Amino acid sequence: MITIKTEREIDLMRASGALVARVLDLIETEIMPGMTTKQLDTMAEEFIRDHNAEPSFLNYAPKGDPGATPYPATLCVSLNEEVVHGIPNNKRVIKEGDIVSVDCGVYKGGYHGDAARTFVLGTIDQKIQELVSVTHECLSRGIAMAVAGNRLHDISSAIEDYARSFRFSVIENMVGHGIGSELHEDPAVPNYGKKNTGVKLREGMTLAIEPMIALGRSRRAISKRGGWVAVTEDGKPSAHFEHTIVVRPGKAEILTRTFLYGETA
Amino acid sequence: MAKEESIEIEGVILDALPNALFKVKLENSLEVLAHVSGKIRMHYIRILPGDKVKVQISPYDITKGRITYRYK
Repeated sequence: MITIKTEREIDLMRASGALVARVLDLIETEIMPGMTTKQLDTMAEEFIRDHNAEPSFLNYAPKGDPGATPYPATLCVSLNEEVVHGIPNNKRVIKEGDIVSVDCGVYKGGYHGDAARTFVLGTIDQKIQELVSVTHECLSRGIAMAVAGNRLHDISSAIEDYARSFRFSVIENMVGHGIGSELHEDPAVPNYGKKNTGVKLREGMTLAIEPMIALGRSRRAISKRGGWVAVTEDGKPSAHFEHTIVVRPGKAEILTRTFLYGETA
Repeated sequence: MAKEESIEIEGVILDALPNALFKVKLENSLEVLAHVSGKIRMHYIRILPGDKVKVQISPYDITKGRITYRYK
């Protein structure tokens, strides 16, 4: 069931979203080669708890899969070929030349906020740099389609078309999602699809749009049985950006916009 | 945090087994065991060896699937 949020609910989600953005801003300013992924996680968890909120991902278990182990951390830190759900670890050191996707969720005032950014450390291969900027642009193009009156897969096809025009591959088994009082709500927001299909978007729907784009030809992100981290099939790097948005007439409202550079997304 | 979904892949029926189970060879040359979706059963859509079909693969067991469409 897709829920339409009232303005009061959206206000609360705005607060959660803003906190997510601040956590990612903090990571963006602090991250550097030599840190372990666990350090980032601890930093984020302290920051979230200092602001009277809780991490959404900690102990999160996906519904409909009783065998799944609850997620053990605050952040998902996924390096290079890891697509999403990288579990922070105090042995995993971030090196120069890595691309690091940091995904963060916050539960505050009864509502979740969810966002992710991919950070580039030092100088990297030009192709990988292009992948990161294209994925970021995919997110912007997806959000641009998230207006009342459009259909759900208009977002998906905008993302897919742009990624494919650079011959990058779209990860199909990981999708964006509705968000609100639950971390994962209906509908699923795939990053591939046909224009003019899917449910009609209405004002007040809140979605987490998250393109996951990879070099090479991998269409799936595979994880080991009972494990969380999902990697590309061919071991090629992948990038990931995410925003929580509200569908509005004309232009979607981004709830997890960064505070670092003024107006840019 | 991304949600994990089943993915749909096209394949060709290799063998029809009892109980409406089929052995399907997928595009990526993997073989899976697939049963037929309720909607296909309801409409008595026959599936024979050699037919091209769309299969949903479970993320939890990638050797099992569900046939959701038979191409004409």
